[in-house]
Amino acid sequence: MRRISIGVTTGALVLGVSLAAMTSAVMAQSVTLTLGSWRTEDLAVWQDQVLPAFEATHPDINVEFAPINTNEYNAAIQSQIEGGTGPDLITCRPFDVNNEWIGRGYFSELDGLAGMANFTDTAKAAWTFEGHTYCVPVAAVLAGFYYNVDIFNELGLTPPTTTAEFIAVLQAIQDSGKYTPLAMGSADSWQLAYNGLYSVGPAYWKGEEGRLGLIDGTKKLTDPEFVEAFKAFAAWRPFLPPGQEALAYPDMTQLFTLGRAAILPDGSWNIKQVTSTGLNVGVFGPPAVEAGGQRYLQEMPDMAIGINAASPNQEAARTFLDWVAGPEFQQIYVNTAPGFFAMSNQAVTYDNALAQNFADLKTGASLTPRLALDRLSAGTPPLDDEIWRLLQLMMTTDTTAEQATQELQAGLESWYGPQKGN
Amino acid sequence: MTRPATARWSLLLFVLPALAIYVMFAVAPLVSSVVMSFFNADRTLGSVFVGFENYIYLFTEPVVSARFWNALVNNIKYFAIHVLVEVPIGLLMAALLTSGALRRSEGVYRTILFIPATLSVVIVGFIWRLIINPLWGVVGFPLLGNQMTALPTISLMGVWQYVGIPMIFLYSALLAVPNDLVEASRLDGASPWRTFWDIKFPLIVPQFGLIVILTFIWTFNGFDLVFALNGSAPGPNYSTDILGTYFYRTFFGSSGQVADLDLGATVATVIFTIMLLVTALYFWLVQRRLRAHTV
Repeated sequence: MRRISIGVTTGALVLGVSLAAMTSAVMAQSVTLTLGSWRTEDLAVWQDQVLPAFEATHPDINVEFAPINTNEYNAAIQSQIEGGTGPDLITCRPFDVNNEWIGRGYFSELDGLAGMANFTDTAKAAWTFEGHTYCVPVAAVLAGFYYNVDIFNELGLTPPTTTAEFIAVLQAIQDSGKYTPLAMGSADSWQLAYNGLYSVGPAYWKGEEGRLGLIDGTKKLTDPEFVEAFKAFAAWRPFLPPGQEALAYPDMTQLFTLGRAAILPDGSWNIKQVTSTGLNVGVFGPPAVEAGGQRYLQEMPDMAIGINAASPNQEAARTFLDWVAGPEFQQIYVNTAPGFFAMSNQAVTYDNALAQNFADLKTGASLTPRLALDRLSAGTPPLDDEIWRLLQLMMTTDTTAEQATQELQAGLESWYGPQKGN
Repeated sequence: MTRPATARWSLLLFVLPALAIYVMFAVAPLVSSVVMSFFNADRTLGSVFVGFENYIYLFTEPVVSARFWNALVNNIKYFAIHVLVEVPIGLLMAALLTSGALRRSEGVYRTILFIPATLSVVIVGFIWRLIINPLWGVVGFPLLGNQMTALPTISLMGVWQYVGIPMIFLYSALLAVPNDLVEASRLDGASPWRTFWDIKFPLIVPQFGLIVILTFIWTFNGFDLVFALNGSAPGPNYSTDILGTYFYRTFFGSSGQVADLDLGATVATVIFTIMLLVTALYFWLVQRRLRAHTV
């Protein structure tokens, strides 16, 4: 028995070695680019869909998708690049992390790239530093509210459009006694900010007006519009499931997909999981403050790709990025990874109906990224992490919106230049 | 017969493979992370020697140092709970296993009690998270969502998992206690309780001390269980943050935070120093004086 298995192993080994020798002989004439990414879950998307499409039209360029664990991505890329072993193509984090990386000279500048014309300045903002762009935007994520259409029909409810309607809908579901109004828990503090405050808040701080006001120091977190936004989020607390203090993100999704909760505040990235049980799911955007008021929608630049300045294959990398900037790539990517949305100004259609619904929410809405990730989190304490922590305190203890915003403002003033003088 | 010099050389040769691996995978990374803590790479110029600047920053920057002390205090609590719960229970189990009261089922119990220690922490975290989940589990109270209960809850999960280690350690020590002593005490009319505390326990005191200090090392190196349950910014309000997660957060950054490798190395060096000092002090002050009664 042992002898047989040794024979098989040796055979396989010989076969493997000769195969490897053959492929490397073929590849010898072409350039191979490595693409570093934190999306380990997208391995199949890139290997089976995206890259073959590129290689079909560019036989001389070979791209290898080399993902790194999400949590270790930043540290791994930093040590690889500083040690001279970085990938040719680097997936770019949005805003602060990337600005820091640009400042350290990790990227080649992409201003002259033809495909860049497909992106507006807003789309490029997260990867632009001192007027130059360093990464080609790949995808953004949206956040809103998934709702169980059957529960809404059963209770005779329609998706709310104003804050007052939103609370009335939650109250009606609560009163029915059959379902939990909101599938949300406070154990994973990040999602209180990303799925909660950053969705309902922009209607109060007027999206970009408030966000940029914080950045240039003309507004403070203790200003009434921000306090009101925190209060609007705190108003959800009575509608959360019992024991919500210890419920994590997967628990929320489960509560919703099992049909026990009517509304799930969540991001577009969760589309696949939310619809996995065949539930009849709809989506609505964050409510406006008053009837007829401006609607806002959180559109967060998530991912872009840049070129490692130290890569010897600059020309091939630029060719690849030019293709990434074009409609062919965008169309393939957003449809193989539903929940991610193209950022270019070219028309893209979404095969996934719910993704299309999500994309439709953009129409007529004023778009804004997450409040605290641009510049405001580049110091200690990072505003974004502090918002997570204080929202968690607000939802689990008796911390008020006033106390939370005061503490956040004090933390920001302690290091952020434009806020210091106030 | 070989000459002494040759013998010495061949001795060295035998030690060399193990020594090489140890140096390569334990000593070298340790030394390089200590070296790294004296540099700052967050400059456009590349890595620059900055002396104790990283240490000064770690202990003087208000937020960074407050989080560090918070993590240290939490880690001390984490250790205290392990020592006060895990070690005594381990001792009790070892005493019961060696008491003879279990007769032939001794092996079965020994195996069952040790099984959790062989499980992956991710599995342990997942199972316990479900058991105490207010929605699907058996406990209605949000144990992990409350600042007072979160850390003790996680500590007790760790205790549940690793209670087999002190048990097996003390069990083997108790097995080595000479039977004639135990028998003599029984013939003299000592109760099992008295026999244990006056005969058996004094004989295993050195091993008992060792398991306490090992628990200290394990808990101060602790990371996996907290990370599996609460991620790298363990809430609520950093109430379950321990040194391991603090280091991880600093060194690896997060989606919105740049990884600070040098400060991370500084934190790692401080953790190492704390452990080195406490362990050295323990061996110097306590363990030397603990001596099994010579029979």
